[in-house]
Amino acid sequence: MLTAITRAFRTPDLRNKMLFTLGIIALFRLGSFLPTPGVHVSNIQKCLAQGLSSDAAGVYGLINLFSGGALLQLSVFALGIMPYITASIILQLLTVVIPRLEALKKEGQAGTAKITQYTRYLTIGLAVLQSTAFIALARSGQMFPQCQEEVLLSQDIFPLIVMVLTMTAGTSVIMWLGELITDRGIGNGMSILIFTQVVAVFPQELARIFRSNTFGFAVVMVVGVAIIAAVVFVEQAQRRIPVQYAKRMVGRRMYGGTSTYIPLKVNQAGIIPVIFASSLLYLPQLAATLFGNTTNPNEVIRFIQTYFANNIGNAYYMTTYFLLIVFFTYFYVSITFNPVEVADNMKKYGGFIPGIRPGRPTAEYLSYVLTRLTAPGSLYLGLLSLVPIVALTLVDASQNFPFGGTSILIIVGVGLDTVKQIEAQLQQRNYEGFLR
Amino acid sequence: MIIGISIALMLASAIMILLVLLHKGKGGGLSDLFGGGFSSSFGSSSVVERNLDRLTIITGVVWFVCIIALGLVLKP
Repeated sequence: MLTAITRAFRTPDLRNKMLFTLGIIALFRLGSFLPTPGVHVSNIQKCLAQGLSSDAAGVYGLINLFSGGALLQLSVFALGIMPYITASIILQLLTVVIPRLEALKKEGQAGTAKITQYTRYLTIGLAVLQSTAFIALARSGQMFPQCQEEVLLSQDIFPLIVMVLTMTAGTSVIMWLGELITDRGIGNGMSILIFTQVVAVFPQELARIFRSNTFGFAVVMVVGVAIIAAVVFVEQAQRRIPVQYAKRMVGRRMYGGTSTYIPLKVNQAGIIPVIFASSLLYLPQLAATLFGNTTNPNEVIRFIQTYFANNIGNAYYMTTYFLLIVFFTYFYVSITFNPVEVADNMKKYGGFIPGIRPGRPTAEYLSYVLTRLTAPGSLYLGLLSLVPIVALTLVDASQNFPFGGTSILIIVGVGLDTVKQIEAQLQQRNYEGFLR
Repeated sequence: MIIGISIALMLASAIMILLVLLHKGKGGGLSDLFGGGFSSSFGSSSVVERNLDRLTIITGVVWFVCIIALGLVLKP
């Protein structure tokens, strides 16, 4: 392992790429600490300290997790990677609905590039919306409900516009940094940036648990390592469906005749169902705070406030969350993996699964296998995302509990992917890599 | 003073957004985001792209300086 790392650093090409990536990450973290001009820094620190002791951060849980704590500090990169993720999700869903986008997706590389371009435009639009929303929240004092201090320096409209513009530009800079990593560094830039933000919260949270409860800390560490091992195990798990390619002559050349396999991962959907479910469950709570009459709430609002607001360690919330995740796993797998398309492509290039006729029977077989395979995958995702909520009630941990489902999935997923890419680079020069 | 820097910051932000949008998007879609396949990008960048990079970096530095300056001026 260590020799592999030294070898990676001894290869000049790879070393440059790794150093470049590290440099971008450093820039990114710097921007996450730099406060937006117009924010009252000392007051916001006071409010943050108050907010952490009570569980107020839960409202912005996921967004704050993805921004590595930058959001509640209203820093330049406060929005973090979230607008880009939201934009990608929206476009991904729209490709199913809008025929033009679907046609673009089928076009191959040129079409995908166009969709990426749309994603980037949408990201800026969303960034304007979200930054306006958060500045408005901060201005009206709803960002920290318990805190009496003034968060912004001035209530005038001009400085607020400057802040919104700065934060939007910050989002575009993040997008650019991510693309730079993808282009010249190692791994997928956006996921590495998310990885950085998630890991950045780790030491702080662990220290908090350690200070409040030493025995709990030990339990958390042991459970955490066990969870990581389990997640790595499941993430690597895949079903390999053998595919045989027929030999064929094109001119004087012989093609095909090879046998390969289609890898179907147990957790084909990755982290995305969890993100969908959390953002959807955030909606009723938002609606209740926006439209709810606080002095005299009616039945529905009272129900939402008891079960879906701050205290989420109850059976209603957990069951809804779990079911939503299972549903979205199936939904997302059905979007990303189209058995009919795969079967058609295989038929086109003369491939077949041994024992199954090409065409429709192959598509049916693939969808049958995928449906059965996704069942344990979705259960695993659901259970994993319930871990932080359970931990929330057992030990005194906050919403962005470091060994929570979302963070672990991101860390393991991105980590494995990046190591694999480094290894692929390393293997161009010598054969022994990290993973054996 | 404050208004001057504010306007400079707004200009820099707007130019920054424009320049970033002018770049060709290199990020893969959502499927690449969390443990997707390899998206190895070959192909060297063209002259246009390189000049755009340079411009973006310069604007970025100006933007950064503006933020720090405005933050220092506004500091209570």
